[in-house]
Amino acid sequence: MSANPQIHNHQDNLTHKEINGQDLKKLVEASLTWLRTNQQIVNSLNVFPVPDGDTGTNMVLTMQAAFDEVKDSSEENLGEIAHTIAHGALMGARGNSGVILSQIWRGFARSVDNLPTMDTPNFVKAITVARDTAYKGVVRPVEGTILTVIKDLASKAESALDVTDNLVSMLELLVEEANASVQRTPELLPVLKEANVVDSGGKGLYFIFDGMLRYINGEVLDVTDAKVKPLAEMALANTMEQIEPGQDFEVVVDFRPQKELDLSIFYDNLEQMGTSIQVGEGDGIYRMHIHVPTENLYKPIDYTRDLGVVTKVAIENLIDQMENQQGGCNRTQPTITPIQPGHIAVIAVSPGVGISRVFASLGVAAIVEGGQTMNPSTQEIIHAFEKLPTDKIIILPNNKNIILTAKSATELSVKKVAVVPTSSIPQGLTAMMRLIPSGDFDSVIDEMNAAIEEVQTGEITIATRSVEIDGVEVEEGQVIGLLNGKLVLSTSSLDEACLGILEAAHAQDYELITLFYGADLPKKDIPILENLIQEKYPDQEIEIQEGCQPHYYLIISIE
Amino acid sequence: MNIAFVTDSTADIPGNYLDQYPIHVVPNILMIKGKSFEDGKEITREAFYRDLPNIKPSPTTGTASIGVYQQLYEKLFQQGFQYIFSIHASKLLSGIYNTAKSAAQSFYERVQVIDSQQLTLGLGFQVLAAAEAAARGASLEMVQKIIEDVRKRARVYAMLDTLEYVRRSGRVSWAKARVSNLLRIKPFIELRYGNVLSLGVTRTRKKGIEQLKKFLLSLGPIERLAILHTNAEMDAIEFLNNITIETPMEPFIVNVNTVIGSHVGPNGLGFATVIK
Repeated sequence: MSANPQIHNHQDNLTHKEINGQDLKKLVEASLTWLRTNQQIVNSLNVFPVPDGDTGTNMVLTMQAAFDEVKDSSEENLGEIAHTIAHGALMGARGNSGVILSQIWRGFARSVDNLPTMDTPNFVKAITVARDTAYKGVVRPVEGTILTVIKDLASKAESALDVTDNLVSMLELLVEEANASVQRTPELLPVLKEANVVDSGGKGLYFIFDGMLRYINGEVLDVTDAKVKPLAEMALANTMEQIEPGQDFEVVVDFRPQKELDLSIFYDNLEQMGTSIQVGEGDGIYRMHIHVPTENLYKPIDYTRDLGVVTKVAIENLIDQMENQQGGCNRTQPTITPIQPGHIAVIAVSPGVGISRVFASLGVAAIVEGGQTMNPSTQEIIHAFEKLPTDKIIILPNNKNIILTAKSATELSVKKVAVVPTSSIPQGLTAMMRLIPSGDFDSVIDEMNAAIEEVQTGEITIATRSVEIDGVEVEEGQVIGLLNGKLVLSTSSLDEACLGILEAAHAQDYELITLFYGADLPKKDIPILENLIQEKYPDQEIEIQEGCQPHYYLIISIE
Repeated sequence: MNIAFVTDSTADIPGNYLDQYPIHVVPNILMIKGKSFEDGKEITREAFYRDLPNIKPSPTTGTASIGVYQQLYEKLFQQGFQYIFSIHASKLLSGIYNTAKSAAQSFYERVQVIDSQQLTLGLGFQVLAAAEAAARGASLEMVQKIIEDVRKRARVYAMLDTLEYVRRSGRVSWAKARVSNLLRIKPFIELRYGNVLSLGVTRTRKKGIEQLKKFLLSLGPIERLAILHTNAEMDAIEFLNNITIETPMEPFIVNVNTVIGSHVGPNGLGFATVIK
């Protein structure tokens, strides 16, 4: 593969004459190279649950097979080369987009059959035949996909023929249209809009046309576009991006190079240091963004200092940032995934933001803050569900003092509201796990009611006054332990209370012990406690979650 | 009429049946670190599942090319078969159906490509029932009816050890939504109408296996049964031993193919059945 990076302009070759088989071969090679460069971008759009494998990879493999057929050919005849390309694409076609792409080549080749060379009108005709063939190859064409993009290209090509008969200008118009068409795909296909992406196959087709144009214009084909963007688009710190293991720091450097930057050498050197490389440029200032492992922390800075004047450096500890993002008790309530209209919605009462996060991850429709000492009102509970786009509501009160409030909410709403009387967080979570949002309302409720018996709940807190209950004598300020709502012990240490509860629950007969630690428990105590439990219960799995609940040091789920 | 059957490696049909009937299996492609492997041929299922958690980036999967299907159809006609049923993995989950469909175009009415709306033995049982019927001399129409009938009665349920692989595969919309999967959970899934449905989750394996049994027993009398697993053979054997259920055919235990396995992950347990 050597279509690049030799950068020279091929415009002259192609502007004034018709293109022959060898020209087409070079264009296909350029398409392939550019598509491969952007393969990951296309793959990342692959959220539509249809294609087998990743769209980008499939399209690259299809184009590779097409190019391989003509790689060593010296055939000048355009029609011949086009047929060979189409044959290769057909034999190598993978995945839906690959199959449609091979149909596009098939139509293209059929249209230029027997043509020794191709002029602009021939090219336009070939694109329209490609469109027709692509549509015929699909049993039930779906709009908002690669099909729509080829259709838009064909329409644009036909109308643009009045404006230009220059192949390069035509290609420029088509690349522009392909981009616009790809951007419109979410409007046509709701699943794309929902996932906030554009269609991957369409995007791949865009790269194929764009690769041809870039080749003609002498632009690089092996460095992705996404890496060189306007400075304005690059925030100093992209806190939300995905972090690869081992890349501990994000380094962003602004610098003014002494002489013009050779981008491909620049990228090569940066790739030795880390990942997620992005480079932006504006007014002679470059901004370089990279994720590096700790040992390479200063390398990108030293390197850019060799190239010019560094004006600004920003370093972020990504690991720390991620931990902060995920955890913390000072955060607001977590983001809830919206429910599908008509599905069953679950409203959970939660005493702490950590516990709310867990409920959110299991798919609750709304969270009402509340717990032992802050019981929510009926109004608050109703308010949480009355605007939801469904009339099937299940409330998990998760506290015995809230069950009645929840029940009265059922009487005040016109919706079908049921309360599954969960009296603890572990019960609430266990019930939540039986949710099948699209399932039958009554059977889901039955399942949830059955599930709450399957888990035992331990709670550890501090006695607020001296008392004797259930034969347990308690002094104010002592650590007390409750099992399934019943007081079972009082002691002076948290560790003892925790182990005592596990013993009373016969934890050795269960599989999993989950500790939700409260806002008042010092974080440094957690690993010690975890070790202590693991030592005593080597066969049980132990999971630690930040619960952020007030008053209760620990809520323990034994299942 | 001399009928051949083509399916793909997601069908998980045990080898002895392939010798017995004219069933031809096209391997799907597994891509690991840029290298492609034929499903079931170049890498054992045991080794694959053992290594899967450590393969970075995650393996991707692909269909065989249109050309491979065309050549197989061609070969079968040359061998004297007069008609081919090509039955494949759910087209909502895979591009295999479309690939076979494209390949079949040049054979006019002689190849019928069928979307099984299923995976693993949910698909395999359709192929087997059809091949058995053809061997008994059933007509084309009869064979086609039998495929449709078994398709309607095929059920596949599973408990995955983690949501992670399904979520990463990007094929299952409800799994995608649960990005911040905080608790360790094991999802139950059902394959229905060609899609993967969520049947809730569990946190412990023991309870999960009980739940799977409940799912199976709730289906009533069954005709065929296969216990499916991804490197959890002991659990599969135990599961089978602990259920009292009558099947006219000996149930099989199948370590599921790597192409599906790379989307569900190791240590999964489930079953495929055809209800009466």
